[in-house]
Amino acid sequence: MKTIIKGLLIASIAFSGIAIHSVAQEISTLRNETKLDEQKTPNKIYQVNNSDIKQKRNYPMQPPLIPHTIRNYEVNLNTNKCMACHSRQRTEESQAPMVSVTHFMDRDGNFLAEISPRRYFCSQCHVTQQDTKPLVENTFIDMHTLMKAKTDPK
Amino acid sequence: MTINRREFIKANAVAAAAAVAGVSVPASTSNLITSSDVTKLKWDKAACRFCGTGCSVNVGVMDGKVVATHGDIKSPVNKGLNCVKGYFLSKIMYGKDRLTTPLLRMKNGQYDKDGDFTPISWDQAFDVMEEKAKQTLKDIGPTGVGMFGSGQWTVFEGYAASKLYKAGFRSNNIDPNARHCMASAVGGFMRTFGIDEPMGCYDDMEHTDACVLWGSNMAEMHPILWTRITDRRLSAPHVKVAVLSTYEHRSYELADNGMIFVPQTDLAILNFIANYIIQTDRVNKDFVDKHTNFKLGNTDIGYGLRPDHPLEKRAKNAKKAGGSQPINFDEYAKFVSTYTVEYTSKLSGVPEKNLIDLAELYADPKTKVCSFWTMGFNQHTRGVWANNLVYNIHLLTGKISTPGNSPFSLTGQPSACGTAREVGTFSHRLPADMVVANPKHREISEKKWKIPHGIIPPKPGYHAVLQNRMLKDGKLNFYWVQCNNNMQAAANMMEEGLPGYRNPKNFIVVSDPYPTVTAQAADLILPTAMWVEKEGAYGNAERRTQTWYQMVEPPKGAKSDVWQTVEFSKRFTTDETWPKEILDKNPEYKGKTLFDVLFANGQVNKYSLDEIPDDRLNDESRDFGFYLQKGLFEEYASFGRGKAHDLAPYDRYHQERGLRWPVVNGKETKWRFKEGYDPYVGKGKDFEFYGHKDGRAVIFALPYEPPAESPDREYDLWLSTGRVLEHWHSGSMTQRVPELFKSMPDALLYMHPDDAKERGMRRGDLVKIVSRRGEVETRVETRGRNKPPKGLVFMPWFDASRLVNKVTLDATDPLSKETDFKKCAVKVIKA
Amino acid sequence: MGAFNTSLELSNTEEFCISCHEMESNVYEELKTTIHFTNRSGVRATCPDCHVPHKWTNKIARKMQASKEVWGKIFGTINTREKFLAHRKTLAEHEWDRLKANDSLECRNCHNFDYMDFTAQSTRAAQQHSTSLASGEKTCIDCHKGIAHQLPDMKGVEGW
Repeated sequence: MKTIIKGLLIASIAFSGIAIHSVAQEISTLRNETKLDEQKTPNKIYQVNNSDIKQKRNYPMQPPLIPHTIRNYEVNLNTNKCMACHSRQRTEESQAPMVSVTHFMDRDGNFLAEISPRRYFCSQCHVTQQDTKPLVENTFIDMHTLMKAKTDPK
Repeated sequence: MTINRREFIKANAVAAAAAVAGVSVPASTSNLITSSDVTKLKWDKAACRFCGTGCSVNVGVMDGKVVATHGDIKSPVNKGLNCVKGYFLSKIMYGKDRLTTPLLRMKNGQYDKDGDFTPISWDQAFDVMEEKAKQTLKDIGPTGVGMFGSGQWTVFEGYAASKLYKAGFRSNNIDPNARHCMASAVGGFMRTFGIDEPMGCYDDMEHTDACVLWGSNMAEMHPILWTRITDRRLSAPHVKVAVLSTYEHRSYELADNGMIFVPQTDLAILNFIANYIIQTDRVNKDFVDKHTNFKLGNTDIGYGLRPDHPLEKRAKNAKKAGGSQPINFDEYAKFVSTYTVEYTSKLSGVPEKNLIDLAELYADPKTKVCSFWTMGFNQHTRGVWANNLVYNIHLLTGKISTPGNSPFSLTGQPSACGTAREVGTFSHRLPADMVVANPKHREISEKKWKIPHGIIPPKPGYHAVLQNRMLKDGKLNFYWVQCNNNMQAAANMMEEGLPGYRNPKNFIVVSDPYPTVTAQAADLILPTAMWVEKEGAYGNAERRTQTWYQMVEPPKGAKSDVWQTVEFSKRFTTDETWPKEILDKNPEYKGKTLFDVLFANGQVNKYSLDEIPDDRLNDESRDFGFYLQKGLFEEYASFGRGKAHDLAPYDRYHQERGLRWPVVNGKETKWRFKEGYDPYVGKGKDFEFYGHKDGRAVIFALPYEPPAESPDREYDLWLSTGRVLEHWHSGSMTQRVPELFKSMPDALLYMHPDDAKERGMRRGDLVKIVSRRGEVETRVETRGRNKPPKGLVFMPWFDASRLVNKVTLDATDPLSKETDFKKCAVKVIKA
Repeated sequence: MGAFNTSLELSNTEEFCISCHEMESNVYEELKTTIHFTNRSGVRATCPDCHVPHKWTNKIARKMQASKEVWGKIFGTINTREKFLAHRKTLAEHEWDRLKANDSLECRNCHNFDYMDFTAQSTRAAQQHSTSLASGEKTCIDCHKGIAHQLPDMKGVEGW
């Protein structure tokens, strides 16, 4: 295979459909212009974002991301460390956000007196973020952006 | 807007002060938009794009864009929940590098295997494909063309592709990536029950007293099913959860009995349980007498490697792997009697107490028990055996086909059941569990398809692993890959996959929404529509078929797989692909295009566009002029109706959150083979395993046999591979969602801290994992979510930049042809 | 007296602690992945740093208590993982009570409140350390249970 054509922005030329001329062979974006039989030196292991700053949700139903590290947080048959701060009873002292009311609902939509066991393992939906940049930009448009465009007096 | 921490704290301080003073000082003005015309979202239901659980999601669309998704409250599967991947479905279609034009390797304006990818039109793309396919058909014949499909294909896509290859090109060289995933489960079902797919359903989880996870990490791989098991375990404290794996993972967080076993010794543990049931006199004799047979299976069956491999030459029964002979209960009891607790504990490394506790869950007649497994059993050189052996212990105790008693084979992919298995897109299969090798089955299929007798070839085609070998050997020259990323998935990439794709004799077409690793290995890339950019139907692990409408337009230039397949069929006439003798006997087919005989056959094109509501998108149907998806579905469904695979009329699926087949008289079936639940069970029979003619399931005597490759002095560690919660398979969708990417950006090597220390390594060190086949570099993780025992390392395969399949071994189960991705021998050295 | 001191010092090393199987395969194995074992600066807590009082008199008193665990080993109270798990809560509560009573003395031997830089801590940590910990209302172990070993069943434990 040929050597990589450096500096050629594949995404902006080939994939936007503007057919100018050929693009490189190493097109797999997630491989960062690397031949299949070669490998770039792997990145270091990144730090987990621990800023405690909430990130905007992409839509209201998105589970919030965890803005702090959860190293060695135990959630198992013995205990749920997350609930030491996020349970209803603990939030006054912890000042952490309370788990949403949906978490008290059982499979049939009835509210229980305590968080539903089906929501017990927090990390099935809530994840931390590492201090790295996405490899590929995402062009998802926030519904608020669409609405604003429609209501913009201009 | 991004603000740094200092600004944030400052802004907060101002806001706090303002709150005290009773005034509001917003950091930036934000007025609420309230007009319902503007805030209204168009909601619709769809099946989740990812795993075999088959959650239903609600998809919110605004101005032609998906802007929100959430778990469907009405779905019995997930009742409003999603896992983190499911919650981010909204963003999977919007990676900036979506492909929008076909790309062909070219030099000087011509196709060239060594050329650079060059944008061309769809017409040009089909021109070159047509030329290459026809050349191959002329030079080699039907065995020279092939296709690699997917358990993520919609039902229509798999069905159309299967027809094009098996009937159109007369080639059985079509196989789905489900071969890597479910083939052993299929083998297990067919061998034990004579009919595919689970007898139970997810409702078993709410009824059971004990859940046993065999090699499965449901907490990460089937998160929503895990919520159901968690719900059951924590709300009914008598319920017990046992987890077995070769390393500790997240599912152990709920385990009452967590066990780590030496790779491959699951076979011994299963036999030990059978022996324990017999020794403690807890066999359900009535059930066993009435509903089972015993058979002794052939042993020493090899490892599915190339025939010249020493292991294959040495194997006595490599060619008769599926053989067996009848035995009686006493002979079976004697066979398993060597699997004592002492022997099994020593072999497996699991303490005796844990083994006995586990066996009690099965043996105790008062405990309802479910077994769950996925790739731990299936990706196993004795995968079919492992499936057979787990059925044994449920059959010996009669704990099967009733609520809460369920040996449950979970599926990996969203439509491995619906598309790969039920449609029969495997190289040896036809719809409704029929096989190409059976002349009657071929005849039935030819009639259903309204094609002449003799068209479907009798010999099974190349299965997934064989396809890569045949590509390398230059015997498979025209190859089309749809809806999968096999260059990143298939084992032994450096010795088989990559040389196969790049063999100058071969022309490789890859259809994908994104430029994947497989696309990079291709000669022609076709930009493809995905998920709700097309109408779809998936079938999940509990036999639930569900559909969705097209909700948004794909990026301009991208076309769905089914459109590509059906449109391409117009390029061929019967005279070019069917034998002259058959056409002479059936002159009415002469000169017709494959499109005419396969799709415009009076069946597939039976339903008019009027049946599609005006406000619904359906690009393919409006292009071809008939309701394509309904036509394909109904023709396909005709195979299974009255054959215990009954599907409901297509339209009903648009109303329901899926239905579990067989759907008889409008009613779905929750438990098969049990009178009162399954309408196919004869009156008064109680249980009937009607897949076999005598209505009996088979209990197989099969031994522990060692794996194909074990650690030795040089390659001193076991390597296991698998998935992670945050990424779906090879990551081609989820790695493009920034939140998912940032939660799990890179595939690390999970290692015991002592193993690292012995090698002078620590967390974060750059290391090289080396096997006899290749090497990959990554970083060491000694304190992650997976905690391997000493002697075993684990690396996930989602990372396109760190291809662990350069290292893995392409040893396969000789029965199912499914690769063992869970064990091979490696060494880890500092890079 | 000198000889007694020497043997006591010897038994204060981690090597001594994990020379018994119960400690090595249970609590020590669990410690390995935690921040008290591996962290950015490489300052590591060994068993006696947290579990053996550093002052002479306390040390002797603690030794006497520790002999109970040795006794437990000999008579099989915790000689399997299962038995260890069954006793984990008792063992843990023992340590929590001790640390609560001595205001987390062994924590404070390394983590001195006076020298904490709150600006270098996460917002949450700084908030809590500058209020509850500063006022003496809370002590380290109140919030940092399970920081070095897996937790027992936490039902009924305050703050959980």
